[in-house]
Amino acid sequence: MKGVYECEILAQSEIGPNVVRTLLKSSEIARQAQPGQFVNVKITSTTDPLLRRPFSIHATYPDEGVYSLLYVLRGKGTALLRKARPGDKISVVGPLGKPFDLGDSSEAEHVVVAGGCGAAPLHFLCDALCRKWGCKQVTVLAGAQSKDAVLCEAEFKSYEVNVRVSTDDGSYGYQGYVTDLLDAYLAERYSMSSQSGNSPLIRVYSCGPHEMLKEVARISRKYKVSSCQVSLENVMACGIGVCMGCVQKIKDSGHGDDSAECFHYERVCTEGPVFEAENVVWE
Amino acid sequence: MGVNLAVKIGKIEMKNPVTVASGTFGFGKEIADFYDLSHLGAITVKGTSLHPWLGNEYPRTVETPSGMLNAIGLQNDGVDSFISDKLPFLRQYDVPVIVNVVGHTVEEYAEVATRLDGVEGVAGIEINISCPNVKSCMVFGATPESTAEVVRAVRRRTNLTLITKLSPNTGDITAVARAAIDAGSDALSLINTLLGTAINPWTRTFSLANVTGGLSGPAIKPVALRMVYEVAQVVDVPIIGMGGIMNGLDAVEFMLAGANAVAVGTANFVNPRAAIEVIDGIAQYLEATGFEDVNDIVGKVRRE
Repeated sequence: MKGVYECEILAQSEIGPNVVRTLLKSSEIARQAQPGQFVNVKITSTTDPLLRRPFSIHATYPDEGVYSLLYVLRGKGTALLRKARPGDKISVVGPLGKPFDLGDSSEAEHVVVAGGCGAAPLHFLCDALCRKWGCKQVTVLAGAQSKDAVLCEAEFKSYEVNVRVSTDDGSYGYQGYVTDLLDAYLAERYSMSSQSGNSPLIRVYSCGPHEMLKEVARISRKYKVSSCQVSLENVMACGIGVCMGCVQKIKDSGHGDDSAECFHYERVCTEGPVFEAENVVWE
Repeated sequence: MGVNLAVKIGKIEMKNPVTVASGTFGFGKEIADFYDLSHLGAITVKGTSLHPWLGNEYPRTVETPSGMLNAIGLQNDGVDSFISDKLPFLRQYDVPVIVNVVGHTVEEYAEVATRLDGVEGVAGIEINISCPNVKSCMVFGATPESTAEVVRAVRRRTNLTLITKLSPNTGDITAVARAAIDAGSDALSLINTLLGTAINPWTRTFSLANVTGGLSGPAIKPVALRMVYEVAQVVDVPIIGMGGIMNGLDAVEFMLAGANAVAVGTANFVNPRAAIEVIDGIAQYLEATGFEDVNDIVGKVRRE
Protein backbone atom coordinates (compact mmCIF):
# COMPACT_ATOMS: atom_id res chain seq x y z
CA MET A 1 0.00 0.00 0.00
CA LYS A 2 1.13 3.50 -0.80
CA GLY A 3 0.58 6.14 1.79
CA VAL A 4 -0.50 9.69 2.37
CA TYR A 5 1.80 10.86 5.13
CA GLU A 6 1.67 13.85 7.47
CA CYS A 7 5.31 14.93 7.50
CA GLU A 8 6.74 17.30 10.08
CA ILE A 9 9.03 19.99 8.72
CA LEU A 10 12.25 19.87 10.74
CA ALA A 11 14.11 22.76 9.13
CA GLN A 12 14.20 25.00 6.09
CA SER A 13 17.18 27.01 4.91
CA GLU A 14 18.18 28.97 1.83
CA ILE A 15 21.23 27.34 0.32
CA GLY A 16 21.44 29.62 -2.70
CA PRO A 17 19.62 32.52 -4.27
CA ASN A 18 15.93 31.50 -4.20
CA VAL A 19 16.92 27.90 -3.49
CA VAL A 20 15.59 26.28 -0.34
CA ARG A 21 16.44 23.00 1.34
CA THR A 22 13.70 21.44 3.48
CA LEU A 23 14.20 18.60 5.94
CA LEU A 24 11.11 16.48 6.60
CA LYS A 25 10.35 13.61 8.92
CA SER A 26 8.91 10.32 7.65
CA SER A 27 10.50 6.99 8.34
CA GLU A 28 8.41 5.37 5.59
CA ILE A 29 9.50 7.77 2.85
CA ALA A 30 13.11 7.86 4.05
CA ARG A 31 13.25 4.07 4.02
CA GLN A 32 11.43 3.42 0.73
CA ALA A 33 12.68 6.21 -1.52
CA GLN A 34 15.05 5.49 -4.38
CA PRO A 35 17.04 8.08 -6.36
CA GLY A 36 14.98 9.74 -9.09
CA GLN A 37 11.69 9.31 -7.25
CA PHE A 38 9.61 12.25 -6.09
CA VAL A 39 7.05 13.18 -3.47
CA ASN A 40 3.81 15.09 -4.05
CA VAL A 41 3.23 17.76 -1.45
CA LYS A 42 -0.04 19.47 -0.40
CA ILE A 43 1.37 22.77 0.70
CA THR A 44 -1.72 24.18 2.39
CA SER A 45 -5.00 22.60 3.44
CA THR A 46 -6.93 25.24 1.48
CA THR A 47 -8.29 24.87 -2.05
CA ASP A 48 -5.97 27.52 -3.52
CA PRO A 49 -3.49 26.25 -4.49
CA LEU A 50 -5.59 23.14 -4.99
CA LEU A 51 -3.18 20.60 -6.39
CA ARG A 52 -0.13 19.02 -4.83
CA ARG A 53 3.34 20.03 -5.97
CA PRO A 54 5.90 17.40 -7.01
CA PHE A 55 9.43 17.66 -5.60
CA SER A 56 12.26 15.27 -6.33
CA ILE A 57 13.91 13.71 -3.31
CA HIS A 58 17.29 15.30 -2.63
CA ALA A 59 18.55 13.05 0.17
CA THR A 60 17.37 10.39 2.57
CA TYR A 61 18.58 9.47 6.05
CA PRO A 62 16.82 6.16 6.67
CA ASP A 63 18.32 5.66 10.14
CA GLU A 64 16.95 9.00 11.31
CA GLY A 65 13.69 8.70 9.36
CA VAL A 66 14.41 11.98 7.61
CA TYR A 67 14.51 13.09 3.98
CA SER A 68 15.12 16.38 2.24
CA LEU A 69 13.84 18.34 -0.72
CA LEU A 70 15.56 21.09 -2.67
CA TYR A 71 13.43 23.61 -4.51
CA VAL A 72 13.61 26.90 -6.35
CA LEU A 73 11.18 29.63 -5.28
CA ARG A 74 9.22 29.89 -8.49
CA GLY A 75 5.49 30.43 -7.93
CA LYS A 76 2.63 30.47 -5.47
CA GLY A 77 3.19 26.94 -4.18
CA THR A 78 6.90 27.22 -3.44
CA ALA A 79 6.43 30.69 -1.85
CA LEU A 80 3.88 29.20 0.55
CA LEU A 81 6.10 26.22 1.31
CA ARG A 82 8.95 28.60 2.16
CA LYS A 83 6.70 30.16 4.84
CA ALA A 84 6.23 26.84 6.64
CA ARG A 85 7.93 26.70 10.05
CA PRO A 86 9.71 23.87 11.82
CA GLY A 87 7.05 21.81 13.57
CA ASP A 88 4.44 22.43 10.86
CA LYS A 89 3.03 19.30 9.25
CA ILE A 90 2.33 18.91 5.56
CA SER A 91 0.58 16.14 3.66
CA VAL A 92 2.94 14.16 1.43
CA VAL A 93 2.21 11.33 -1.04
CA GLY A 94 5.17 9.23 -2.00
CA PRO A 95 7.68 8.09 -2.88
CA LEU A 96 6.37 8.11 -6.46
CA GLY A 97 7.68 7.39 -9.95
CA LYS A 98 10.29 5.18 -11.49
CA PRO A 99 13.83 5.62 -10.10
CA PHE A 100 17.15 5.76 -11.95
CA ASP A 101 18.56 2.41 -13.04
CA LEU A 102 22.05 2.17 -11.54
CA GLY A 103 23.15 -0.59 -13.89
CA ASP A 104 24.57 -4.00 -13.14
CA SER A 105 28.20 -3.78 -14.16
CA SER A 106 31.01 -2.93 -11.77
CA GLU A 107 33.07 -1.88 -14.81
CA ALA A 108 30.76 1.01 -15.71
CA GLU A 109 31.69 4.67 -15.31
CA HIS A 110 28.81 6.87 -14.18
CA VAL A 111 28.55 10.46 -15.42
CA VAL A 112 26.02 12.63 -13.62
CA VAL A 113 25.04 15.84 -15.45
CA ALA A 114 23.23 18.46 -13.36
CA GLY A 115 21.74 21.68 -14.67
CA GLY A 116 20.69 24.27 -12.08
CA CYS A 117 18.10 22.86 -9.68
CA GLY A 118 18.37 19.55 -11.52
CA ALA A 119 21.08 18.84 -8.98
CA ALA A 120 18.34 17.97 -6.44
CA PRO A 121 17.63 14.34 -7.41
CA LEU A 122 21.19 13.83 -8.66
CA HIS A 123 22.60 14.36 -5.20
CA PHE A 124 20.57 11.39 -3.98
CA LEU A 125 21.64 9.45 -7.09
CA CYS A 126 25.30 10.26 -6.50
CA ASP A 127 25.02 8.94 -2.95
CA ALA A 128 23.48 5.68 -4.20
CA LEU A 129 26.04 5.25 -7.01
CA CYS A 130 28.89 5.72 -4.52
CA ARG A 131 27.42 3.12 -2.18
CA LYS A 132 26.78 0.64 -4.95
CA TRP A 133 29.79 1.05 -7.22
CA GLY A 134 32.28 3.22 -5.30
CA CYS A 135 32.85 6.96 -5.66
CA LYS A 136 35.85 6.47 -7.97
CA GLN A 137 33.47 5.30 -10.67
CA VAL A 138 31.41 8.51 -10.52
CA THR A 139 31.90 11.88 -12.21
CA VAL A 140 29.61 14.85 -11.58
CA LEU A 141 29.30 17.66 -14.09
CA ALA A 142 27.36 20.56 -12.56
CA GLY A 143 26.23 23.61 -14.48
CA ALA A 144 24.55 26.81 -13.39
CA GLN A 145 24.01 30.35 -14.64
CA SER A 146 26.53 31.87 -12.25
CA LYS A 147 28.72 31.03 -9.27
CA ASP A 148 26.11 31.60 -6.54
CA ALA A 149 23.61 29.36 -8.37
CA VAL A 150 25.87 26.28 -8.35
CA LEU A 151 24.05 23.77 -6.14
CA CYS A 152 25.33 20.95 -3.99
CA GLU A 153 28.97 21.36 -5.04
CA ALA A 154 30.27 20.93 -1.50
CA GLU A 155 28.03 17.89 -1.03
CA PHE A 156 29.20 16.31 -4.27
CA LYS A 157 32.80 16.99 -3.26
CA SER A 158 32.27 15.46 0.17
CA TYR A 159 32.01 12.18 -1.68
CA GLU A 160 35.26 11.39 -3.39
CA VAL A 161 33.75 11.84 -6.81
CA ASN A 162 35.28 13.76 -9.66
CA VAL A 163 33.42 17.10 -9.85
CA ARG A 164 33.58 19.63 -12.68
CA VAL A 165 31.62 22.87 -12.66
CA SER A 166 30.52 25.22 -15.43
CA THR A 167 28.81 28.58 -15.29
CA ASP A 168 27.11 30.35 -18.17
CA ASP A 169 28.75 33.68 -17.24
CA GLY A 170 32.15 32.23 -16.36
CA SER A 171 32.01 33.50 -12.78
CA TYR A 172 33.12 30.05 -11.59
CA GLY A 173 34.66 26.99 -13.20
CA TYR A 174 34.46 26.48 -16.95
CA GLN A 175 32.69 29.27 -18.85
CA GLY A 176 29.94 27.73 -20.94
CA TYR A 177 27.30 25.07 -20.71
CA VAL A 178 27.53 21.87 -18.73
CA THR A 179 26.83 20.02 -21.97
CA ASP A 180 30.20 21.30 -23.25
CA LEU A 181 31.79 19.59 -20.24
CA LEU A 182 29.95 16.38 -21.08
CA ASP A 183 31.07 16.50 -24.70
CA ALA A 184 34.69 17.12 -23.68
CA TYR A 185 34.61 14.42 -21.02
CA LEU A 186 33.20 11.79 -23.36
CA ALA A 187 35.61 12.81 -26.17
CA GLU A 188 38.52 12.34 -23.78
CA ARG A 189 37.32 8.97 -22.46
CA TYR A 190 36.61 7.53 -25.88
CA SER A 191 39.89 8.77 -27.37
CA MET A 192 41.79 7.19 -24.46
CA SER A 193 39.95 3.94 -25.03
CA SER A 194 40.57 3.89 -28.77
CA GLN A 195 44.30 3.99 -27.92
CA SER A 196 44.04 1.17 -25.41
CA GLY A 197 41.51 -0.81 -27.44
CA ASN A 198 39.02 -1.21 -24.58
CA SER A 199 35.76 0.60 -25.14
CA PRO A 200 34.59 2.16 -21.87
CA LEU A 201 31.15 1.34 -20.49
CA ILE A 202 29.68 4.77 -19.73
CA ARG A 203 26.32 5.52 -18.16
CA VAL A 204 24.96 9.08 -18.21
CA TYR A 205 22.30 10.41 -15.82
CA SER A 206 20.86 13.90 -16.11
CA CYS A 207 18.31 16.34 -14.74
CA GLY A 208 17.87 19.99 -15.67
CA PRO A 209 16.13 22.28 -18.16
CA HIS A 210 14.48 20.62 -21.15
CA GLU A 211 16.86 22.14 -23.73
CA MET A 212 19.84 20.93 -21.74
CA LEU A 213 18.46 17.38 -21.50
CA LYS A 214 17.87 17.38 -25.23
CA GLU A 215 21.54 18.28 -25.75
CA VAL A 216 22.68 15.66 -23.21
CA ALA A 217 20.68 13.11 -25.18
CA ARG A 218 22.23 14.21 -28.48
CA ILE A 219 25.80 14.08 -27.15
CA SER A 220 25.24 10.73 -25.47
CA ARG A 221 23.95 9.28 -28.71
CA LYS A 222 26.92 10.74 -30.60
CA TYR A 223 29.32 8.76 -28.40
CA LYS A 224 27.02 5.73 -28.20
CA VAL A 225 27.15 5.60 -24.40
CA SER A 226 25.58 2.44 -23.02
CA SER A 227 22.79 4.28 -21.24
CA CYS A 228 21.60 7.86 -20.92
CA GLN A 229 18.78 8.44 -18.45
CA VAL A 230 17.04 11.78 -18.10
CA SER A 231 14.63 12.93 -15.40
CA LEU A 232 11.77 15.03 -16.81
CA GLU A 233 9.73 17.69 -15.04
CA ASN A 234 6.39 17.94 -16.86
CA VAL A 235 3.52 19.70 -15.12
CA MET A 236 1.48 17.21 -13.11
CA ALA A 237 -2.06 17.34 -11.81
CA CYS A 238 -2.37 14.09 -9.82
CA GLY A 239 1.18 12.70 -9.66
CA ILE A 240 -0.15 9.16 -9.19
CA GLY A 241 -0.98 8.14 -12.76
CA VAL A 242 -4.73 8.67 -12.97
CA CYS A 243 -5.19 11.99 -14.78
CA MET A 244 -2.98 11.43 -17.88
CA GLY A 245 -1.91 15.09 -17.73
CA CYS A 246 1.90 14.96 -17.45
CA VAL A 247 2.50 12.91 -20.57
CA GLN A 248 5.66 12.73 -22.68
CA LYS A 249 5.89 11.52 -26.27
CA ILE A 250 7.82 8.23 -26.33
CA LYS A 251 8.92 6.47 -29.52
CA ASP A 252 7.12 3.24 -30.28
CA SER A 253 9.44 0.28 -29.97
CA GLY A 254 11.07 -0.67 -33.22
CA HIS A 255 11.44 3.00 -34.17
CA GLY A 256 14.82 3.81 -32.65
CA ASP A 257 15.65 6.28 -35.41
CA ASP A 258 14.87 9.95 -35.22
CA SER A 259 11.58 9.82 -37.04
CA ALA A 260 9.08 10.91 -34.45
CA GLU A 261 6.25 9.59 -36.56
CA CYS A 262 5.40 6.63 -34.38
CA PHE A 263 5.00 7.59 -30.77
CA HIS A 264 2.71 7.11 -27.81
CA TYR A 265 2.25 9.08 -24.64
CA GLU A 266 3.66 7.90 -21.32
CA ARG A 267 3.03 9.42 -17.91
CA VAL A 268 6.01 11.26 -16.45
CA CYS A 269 4.66 10.58 -12.94
CA THR A 270 4.38 6.82 -13.39
CA GLU A 271 6.42 5.47 -16.32
CA GLY A 272 8.88 8.32 -15.50
CA PRO A 273 10.12 10.76 -14.36
CA VAL A 274 13.27 8.89 -15.44
CA PHE A 275 13.33 7.85 -19.10
CA GLU A 276 15.99 6.41 -21.39
CA ALA A 277 16.86 9.46 -23.48
CA GLU A 278 16.87 7.53 -26.75
CA ASN A 279 13.20 6.62 -26.29
CA VAL A 280 12.08 10.22 -25.81
CA VAL A 281 10.69 12.21 -28.74
CA TRP A 282 12.70 15.41 -28.30
CA GLU A 283 10.78 18.49 -29.45
CA MET B 1 -23.81 2.77 13.67
CA GLY B 2 -26.37 0.99 11.63
CA VAL B 3 -27.18 3.67 9.06
CA ASN B 4 -28.07 2.40 5.59
CA LEU B 5 -25.78 3.75 2.90
CA ALA B 6 -26.88 1.49 0.05
CA VAL B 7 -28.42 3.05 -3.04
CA LYS B 8 -29.59 1.79 -6.42
CA ILE B 9 -28.85 3.39 -9.79
CA GLY B 10 -30.88 1.54 -12.42
CA LYS B 11 -29.99 -2.12 -11.86
CA ILE B 12 -26.69 -1.23 -10.17
CA GLU B 13 -26.64 -1.99 -6.44
CA MET B 14 -24.17 0.32 -4.72
CA LYS B 15 -23.17 -0.39 -1.12
CA ASN B 16 -22.83 3.35 -0.60
CA PRO B 17 -23.68 6.36 -2.75
CA VAL B 18 -20.10 7.15 -3.78
CA THR B 19 -18.48 6.48 -7.14
CA VAL B 20 -15.63 8.29 -8.84
CA ALA B 21 -15.77 10.64 -11.80
CA SER B 22 -14.55 9.17 -15.08
CA GLY B 23 -11.06 10.34 -15.97
CA THR B 24 -9.99 10.96 -12.39
CA PHE B 25 -9.40 7.34 -11.44
CA GLY B 26 -7.80 5.72 -14.47
CA PHE B 27 -8.89 2.08 -14.48
CA GLY B 28 -8.49 1.69 -10.74
CA LYS B 29 -5.05 0.15 -10.60
CA GLU B 30 -3.16 3.18 -9.29
CA ILE B 31 -5.66 4.04 -6.56
CA ALA B 32 -5.74 0.37 -5.49
CA ASP B 33 -2.29 1.07 -4.05
CA PHE B 34 -3.93 3.42 -1.54
CA TYR B 35 -7.02 1.50 -0.39
CA ASP B 36 -9.24 -1.52 -1.03
CA LEU B 37 -11.42 -0.60 -4.01
CA SER B 38 -14.22 -2.82 -2.65
CA HIS B 39 -15.08 -0.02 -0.22
CA LEU B 40 -16.43 2.14 -3.07
CA GLY B 41 -20.08 2.22 -4.11
CA ALA B 42 -19.01 1.88 -7.75
CA ILE B 43 -16.03 2.59 -9.99
CA THR B 44 -16.49 4.67 -13.13
CA VAL B 45 -13.49 4.14 -15.38
CA LYS B 46 -11.79 6.42 -17.89
CA GLY B 47 -13.57 7.19 -21.16
CA THR B 48 -13.36 4.20 -23.48
CA SER B 49 -13.64 4.37 -27.27
CA LEU B 50 -13.96 1.81 -30.06
CA HIS B 51 -10.36 2.26 -31.24
CA PRO B 52 -7.38 3.57 -29.24
CA TRP B 53 -7.25 7.37 -28.93
CA LEU B 54 -3.89 9.12 -28.64
CA GLY B 55 -5.12 12.14 -26.69
CA ASN B 56 -4.13 15.79 -26.98
CA GLU B 57 -0.72 17.44 -27.07
CA TYR B 58 1.01 18.44 -23.83
CA PRO B 59 0.45 20.67 -21.81
CA ARG B 60 -2.85 19.12 -20.88
CA THR B 61 -3.54 20.55 -17.43
CA VAL B 62 -3.26 23.87 -15.66
CA GLU B 63 -4.23 24.86 -12.16
CA THR B 64 -6.74 27.69 -11.69
CA PRO B 65 -8.12 29.31 -8.51
CA SER B 66 -9.67 26.44 -6.49
CA GLY B 67 -9.78 24.31 -9.59
CA MET B 68 -8.03 23.13 -12.69
CA LEU B 69 -8.47 22.91 -16.44
CA ASN B 70 -7.78 19.70 -18.30
CA ALA B 71 -7.62 18.89 -21.98
CA ILE B 72 -6.51 15.27 -21.93
CA GLY B 73 -8.49 14.38 -25.03
CA LEU B 74 -9.74 11.00 -23.78
CA GLN B 75 -6.46 9.13 -24.28
CA ASN B 76 -7.33 5.45 -23.97
CA ASP B 77 -6.40 2.08 -25.49
CA GLY B 78 -9.88 1.21 -26.76
CA VAL B 79 -12.65 -1.10 -25.60
CA ASP B 80 -10.99 -4.41 -26.56
CA SER B 81 -7.92 -3.54 -24.52
CA PHE B 82 -10.18 -2.47 -21.67
CA ILE B 83 -11.91 -5.85 -21.63
CA SER B 84 -8.73 -7.93 -21.96
CA ASP B 85 -6.18 -5.84 -20.02
CA LYS B 86 -7.98 -3.57 -17.53
CA LEU B 87 -11.18 -5.34 -16.52
CA PRO B 88 -9.63 -8.55 -15.09
CA PHE B 89 -7.89 -6.48 -12.43
CA LEU B 90 -11.15 -4.79 -11.42
CA ARG B 91 -13.00 -8.12 -11.23
CA GLN B 92 -10.96 -8.98 -8.13
CA TYR B 93 -12.92 -6.38 -6.21
CA ASP B 94 -16.46 -6.54 -4.92
CA VAL B 95 -17.54 -3.33 -6.65
CA PRO B 96 -19.74 -2.54 -9.67
CA VAL B 97 -17.83 -1.16 -12.66
CA ILE B 98 -19.39 1.53 -14.83
CA VAL B 99 -17.70 2.08 -18.19
CA ASN B 100 -17.64 5.62 -19.55
CA VAL B 101 -18.18 5.34 -23.31
CA VAL B 102 -17.06 7.87 -25.91
CA GLY B 103 -17.18 8.02 -29.69
CA HIS B 104 -16.67 10.17 -32.76
CA THR B 105 -19.90 8.92 -34.31
CA VAL B 106 -23.22 7.52 -33.09
CA GLU B 107 -22.21 4.12 -34.47
CA GLU B 108 -18.96 4.15 -32.49
CA TYR B 109 -20.87 4.65 -29.23
CA ALA B 110 -23.24 1.85 -30.18
CA GLU B 111 -20.43 -0.51 -31.14
CA VAL B 112 -18.58 0.03 -27.84
CA ALA B 113 -21.84 -0.73 -26.01
CA THR B 114 -22.29 -3.89 -28.05
CA ARG B 115 -18.83 -5.11 -27.08
CA LEU B 116 -19.44 -4.37 -23.39
CA ASP B 117 -22.87 -6.01 -23.30
CA GLY B 118 -22.80 -9.26 -21.38
CA VAL B 119 -19.15 -8.94 -20.36
CA GLU B 120 -18.65 -10.25 -16.83
CA GLY B 121 -17.78 -7.45 -14.42
CA VAL B 122 -19.40 -4.61 -16.36
CA ALA B 123 -22.37 -3.25 -14.41
CA GLY B 124 -23.32 -0.26 -16.48
CA ILE B 125 -22.47 2.25 -19.16
CA GLU B 126 -22.06 5.97 -18.71
CA ILE B 127 -22.64 7.64 -22.07
CA ASN B 128 -20.19 10.51 -22.29
CA ILE B 129 -21.69 13.14 -24.56
CA SER B 130 -20.14 15.96 -22.63
CA CYS B 131 -16.34 15.88 -22.81
CA PRO B 132 -15.39 19.42 -23.86
CA ASN B 133 -11.99 18.33 -25.20
CA VAL B 134 -13.19 16.16 -28.04
CA LYS B 135 -15.34 18.10 -30.45
CA SER B 136 -17.67 15.33 -31.55
CA CYS B 137 -18.26 14.34 -27.97
CA MET B 138 -19.47 17.69 -26.70
CA VAL B 139 -21.49 18.34 -29.83
CA PHE B 140 -23.64 15.29 -29.09
CA GLY B 141 -24.49 16.57 -25.63
CA ALA B 142 -25.19 20.11 -26.68
CA THR B 143 -28.75 19.58 -27.91
CA PRO B 144 -31.68 17.33 -26.91
CA GLU B 145 -31.92 15.92 -30.45
CA SER B 146 -28.32 14.73 -30.79
CA THR B 147 -28.36 13.44 -27.20
CA ALA B 148 -31.43 11.35 -27.95
CA GLU B 149 -29.83 9.97 -31.11
CA VAL B 150 -26.77 8.64 -29.23
CA VAL B 151 -28.75 7.27 -26.28
CA ARG B 152 -31.27 5.54 -28.54
CA ALA B 153 -28.50 3.87 -30.55
CA VAL B 154 -26.77 2.61 -27.41
CA ARG B 155 -30.07 1.48 -25.85
CA ARG B 156 -30.79 -0.75 -28.83
CA ARG B 157 -27.54 -2.65 -28.29
CA THR B 158 -27.55 -3.36 -24.56
CA ASN B 159 -29.65 -4.06 -21.51
CA LEU B 160 -26.95 -2.74 -19.21
CA THR B 161 -27.91 0.17 -16.99
CA LEU B 162 -27.41 3.35 -19.03
CA ILE B 163 -26.35 6.55 -17.36
CA THR B 164 -26.13 9.63 -19.58
CA LYS B 165 -23.52 12.14 -18.47
CA LEU B 166 -24.76 15.66 -19.09
CA SER B 167 -22.76 18.69 -20.13
CA PRO B 168 -23.13 22.04 -18.40
CA ASN B 169 -22.11 23.60 -21.72
CA THR B 170 -25.65 23.71 -23.09
CA GLY B 171 -28.55 26.11 -23.18
CA ASP B 172 -31.08 24.18 -21.12
CA ILE B 173 -29.74 21.18 -19.27
CA THR B 174 -33.22 20.04 -18.24
CA ALA B 175 -34.26 19.68 -21.90
CA VAL B 176 -31.19 17.52 -22.60
CA ALA B 177 -31.95 15.49 -19.45
CA ARG B 178 -35.50 14.77 -20.58
CA ALA B 179 -34.35 13.83 -24.06
CA ALA B 180 -31.85 11.32 -22.64
CA ILE B 181 -34.52 9.67 -20.50
CA ASP B 182 -37.08 9.55 -23.31
CA ALA B 183 -34.45 7.83 -25.47
CA GLY B 184 -33.98 5.10 -22.87
CA SER B 185 -31.42 6.31 -20.35
CA ASP B 186 -31.95 4.69 -16.93
CA ALA B 187 -30.15 7.40 -15.00
CA LEU B 188 -28.26 10.67 -15.38
CA SER B 189 -24.91 11.91 -14.16
CA LEU B 190 -23.95 15.57 -13.98
CA ILE B 191 -22.03 17.68 -14.44
CA ASN B 192 -19.09 17.24 -16.76
CA THR B 193 -16.48 20.00 -16.79
CA LEU B 194 -17.18 23.59 -17.79
CA LEU B 195 -15.43 24.83 -20.91
CA GLY B 196 -12.72 27.36 -20.09
CA THR B 197 -9.22 28.54 -20.87
CA ALA B 198 -6.14 30.00 -19.20
CA ILE B 199 -3.52 32.41 -20.51
CA ASN B 200 0.07 32.98 -19.39
CA PRO B 201 0.54 36.77 -19.54
CA TRP B 202 4.36 36.55 -19.55
CA THR B 203 4.68 34.24 -22.53
CA ARG B 204 1.45 35.57 -24.07
CA THR B 205 0.37 32.02 -24.85
CA PHE B 206 -2.50 29.77 -23.88
CA SER B 207 -1.64 27.49 -20.97
CA LEU B 208 -3.09 24.42 -22.70
CA ALA B 209 -1.90 23.05 -26.05
CA ASN B 210 -5.57 22.46 -26.88
CA VAL B 211 -6.32 26.16 -26.07
CA THR B 212 -9.52 25.27 -24.20
CA GLY B 213 -10.11 22.72 -21.47
CA GLY B 214 -12.64 21.56 -18.92
CA LEU B 215 -12.82 23.31 -15.55
CA SER B 216 -13.24 21.10 -12.50
CA GLY B 217 -12.70 21.23 -8.75
CA PRO B 218 -14.29 23.23 -5.92
CA ALA B 219 -14.59 26.27 -8.21
CA ILE B 220 -17.46 24.64 -10.12
CA LYS B 221 -19.41 23.23 -7.18
CA PRO B 222 -22.07 25.97 -6.99
CA VAL B 223 -22.82 25.60 -10.71
CA ALA B 224 -23.00 21.81 -10.45
CA LEU B 225 -25.23 21.94 -7.40
CA ARG B 226 -27.65 24.31 -9.13
CA MET B 227 -27.82 22.07 -12.20
CA VAL B 228 -28.42 18.90 -10.16
CA TYR B 229 -31.21 20.70 -8.33
CA GLU B 230 -32.82 21.92 -11.55
CA VAL B 231 -32.64 18.53 -13.24
CA ALA B 232 -33.96 16.76 -10.12
CA GLN B 233 -37.08 18.92 -10.29
CA VAL B 234 -38.05 17.62 -13.71
CA VAL B 235 -36.92 13.97 -13.90
CA ASP B 236 -37.74 10.87 -11.89
CA VAL B 237 -34.72 8.68 -12.73
CA PRO B 238 -31.72 8.37 -10.41
CA ILE B 239 -29.09 11.13 -10.58
CA ILE B 240 -25.37 10.85 -9.88
CA GLY B 241 -24.25 14.33 -8.83
CA MET B 242 -20.72 15.62 -9.21
CA GLY B 243 -18.66 18.77 -9.51
CA GLY B 244 -16.08 19.83 -6.97
CA ILE B 245 -16.94 17.36 -4.21
CA MET B 246 -14.02 17.38 -1.76
CA ASN B 247 -15.58 15.92 1.40
CA GLY B 248 -18.64 14.28 2.92
CA LEU B 249 -20.56 17.51 3.46
CA ASP B 250 -20.10 18.53 -0.18
CA ALA B 251 -21.57 15.14 -1.12
CA VAL B 252 -24.49 15.63 1.29
CA GLU B 253 -25.29 18.96 -0.37
CA PHE B 254 -25.58 17.23 -3.75
CA MET B 255 -27.88 14.59 -2.28
CA LEU B 256 -30.03 17.23 -0.63
CA ALA B 257 -30.27 18.91 -4.04
CA GLY B 258 -31.64 15.68 -5.49
CA ALA B 259 -28.71 13.38 -6.33
CA ASN B 260 -29.18 9.69 -5.41
CA ALA B 261 -25.44 9.12 -5.58
CA VAL B 262 -22.33 11.23 -6.04
CA ALA B 263 -19.01 11.03 -7.84
CA VAL B 264 -15.69 12.22 -6.47
CA GLY B 265 -13.50 13.65 -9.23
CA THR B 266 -10.71 16.18 -8.99
CA ALA B 267 -10.43 15.47 -5.26
CA ASN B 268 -8.80 12.14 -6.20
CA PHE B 269 -5.87 14.14 -7.59
CA VAL B 270 -5.46 16.12 -4.38
CA ASN B 271 -6.01 13.23 -2.00
CA PRO B 272 -5.85 9.68 -3.35
CA ARG B 273 -8.04 8.59 -0.41
CA ALA B 274 -10.69 11.28 -1.04
CA ALA B 275 -13.53 8.96 -2.08
CA ILE B 276 -13.14 6.84 1.07
CA GLU B 277 -13.17 9.97 3.22
CA VAL B 278 -16.33 11.16 1.44
CA ILE B 279 -18.07 7.86 2.30
CA ASP B 280 -17.06 8.21 5.95
CA GLY B 281 -18.17 11.84 5.95
CA ILE B 282 -21.64 10.97 4.65
CA ALA B 283 -22.04 8.28 7.32
CA GLN B 284 -20.97 10.73 10.02
CA TYR B 285 -23.48 13.30 8.76
CA LEU B 286 -26.30 10.76 8.90
CA GLU B 287 -25.40 9.75 12.43
CA ALA B 288 -25.09 13.35 13.57
CA THR B 289 -28.46 14.30 12.09
CA GLY B 290 -30.37 11.15 13.01
CA PHE B 291 -31.13 9.89 9.51
CA GLU B 292 -31.08 6.09 9.33
CA ASP B 293 -31.05 5.78 5.54
CA VAL B 294 -29.03 7.86 3.10
CA ASN B 295 -31.92 7.69 0.62
CA ASP B 296 -33.96 9.76 3.08
CA ILE B 297 -31.88 12.88 2.47
CA VAL B 298 -32.23 12.83 -1.32
CA GLY B 299 -33.93 16.01 -2.49
CA LYS B 300 -34.61 17.17 1.06
CA VAL B 301 -33.38 20.73 0.63
CA ARG B 302 -36.06 23.26 1.57
CA ARG B 303 -36.71 26.88 0.76
CA GLU B 304 -37.05 29.01 3.84
